[in-house]
Amino acid sequence: MSTNPSTSAVLMRRLHVGQNVRILAGVIVALMFLLPVFWMVLTSFKFQRDIFTTPPTFLFTPTLENYTRYLQQSNIPYQMMNTVIVAFGAGLISIFTGSMAGYALARLRIRGAGFLGVLILMSRGVPPIALAVPMFLVGRSLGLIDKHIYLILAYCTFLIPYVMWLMRGFFLALPKELEESAMIDGCSRLGAFFKIIVPISLPGLLSTLIFCVILAWEELLFAIVLTNRIATTVPVAIANIAGDTVNGANWGALTAVGTMTVVPVVIFALLVQKWLIQGLADGATKG
Amino acid sequence: MSNVQIDTQHRRRFRKEKLLDLMSRWTFMFPAGFILIAMLAYPIVYTIDISFALIDLTTFRVAEWVGWDNYTYVLGDSRFWASLKVTAIYLALSLPIQMILGFGIAYLINVEWKGRGFVRALFLIPMVVAPVVAGGVWRMMLDPLYGLTNYLLGFVGLGPYDWLGDTWLAMWTIVIIDTWRWTPFIVLIATASILNLSKDIFEAASIDGANWWTKLWSISIPLLLPMIAATFIVRWLGAVKMFDIALSATGGGPGASTQVINLFIYEEAFRSLYFAEAAAMAVLVLVGTMMLTGVFLYGSRKLEDLY
Repeated sequence: MSTNPSTSAVLMRRLHVGQNVRILAGVIVALMFLLPVFWMVLTSFKFQRDIFTTPPTFLFTPTLENYTRYLQQSNIPYQMMNTVIVAFGAGLISIFTGSMAGYALARLRIRGAGFLGVLILMSRGVPPIALAVPMFLVGRSLGLIDKHIYLILAYCTFLIPYVMWLMRGFFLALPKELEESAMIDGCSRLGAFFKIIVPISLPGLLSTLIFCVILAWEELLFAIVLTNRIATTVPVAIANIAGDTVNGANWGALTAVGTMTVVPVVIFALLVQKWLIQGLADGATKG
Repeated sequence: MSNVQIDTQHRRRFRKEKLLDLMSRWTFMFPAGFILIAMLAYPIVYTIDISFALIDLTTFRVAEWVGWDNYTYVLGDSRFWASLKVTAIYLALSLPIQMILGFGIAYLINVEWKGRGFVRALFLIPMVVAPVVAGGVWRMMLDPLYGLTNYLLGFVGLGPYDWLGDTWLAMWTIVIIDTWRWTPFIVLIATASILNLSKDIFEAASIDGANWWTKLWSISIPLLLPMIAATFIVRWLGAVKMFDIALSATGGGPGASTQVINLFIYEEAFRSLYFAEAAAMAVLVLVGTMMLTGVFLYGSRKLEDLY
């Protein structure tokens, strides 16, 4: 009789210890996953002589040399600008067109909406290289290569289906009475969409936009194929630095430019993390 | 008489309104549809088209139609098969590893405490590191002479390994980088779906005396199965397109040991300028991807029916 409470206390304590071990293990795993990012940021503040040491060093005099050199002497600032233009351009166009189409799929009972849904899913299986080759050939004959707008439209091919799918789910969850009452008040469908639906969906739209900007920000294949000088983006520059076999790897440049591209995206992602995680889960299942 | 007139008038008006209504519905689809037809559907048709052609490299236009010649050439090209094999190995290694690690870590960190949201946010970070940056930074970390990885592995008595020089290890390099970038994605999806599981079942099971292993095998995994299948398909669709990590980490080497199919097609098209052959390969890959995706979707449906 007297053993009963004590065993349950032991059990409770063991459970508690088990929980703490799991928490600790989780934190360690998370930090392990962050190690490469940490190492990149650390290396970007090293002088060349501190980068190439055996064993790798954690103690060094920090410098901004890698940043200042690359910001002053290369096309990186210009390519950053391009990346911003292309990523936001593609994001905005995709959000605008994709959310309208997503609304149509969710609410407007279009004939063949189910078939369109299947097509959207299928489009995610199209290898980008199957699009890059014809885009290059057609763009070349139309003089569109190295134009921002062409790269923006190329990014729309994978962003619009994404937006359509995410926003379709979002609109399905809204109460129907909203636009019905607006339309009784004499609004057209488009009016009801832009005056009623868009304002209340603003948080969702904004987060999806950020999602799109991140995806476009990192894209490499289309950028490599469809631009060569004027509209080149940062990922292309990084690929060139990383793949430079003539001069050997310039790790200072690689990590400095890498840090500059990653930091804004990380901030963006953390700002919308709740929606981002929900969106990931929805994107995987709803369908 | 007047009655009939009014009736036809009505009907006409009704028809007009119906037409306007239909148009207003399709207005919503039009902008997205236009872009997708011009930039997605048309290029696919164009790819199929030029896969039957000989491209004149002075004009980049079709010189003549050659029927199935490009396909027979590609199917007889051992490099094509080699890169398909590389892709298959990469997929067979990285997809299961990422799924198991992802769901395992999610299960591990699914403990109620204050910092849970924070830890989840940390997992978001590798996911948004551009693949090309990931490849470059990992290449630096795996450097046999100055890299951090071999140094750290030395503490537990492993290595040193020539990660980028050995053909088999180079494959593992690609798998490791891909796993590093994508496991957090699976962790996040898995955490969300584990949180959605009803707690009552687990409490009931505990009362019935089930240990954690039984709970895992008999409750969690069957309940999570649809989610696991869906995550697998999303991950498969992403992995089959992998290109940037291989390009920036190994460049396909050493030799062609990490040249995944997308990288090979890219090199054939834009370095060797074999556009038609590249188009033929792209069509084959497209068809293969679609078929396998269909099989996976069918399999996941069957799996759901099973439980």
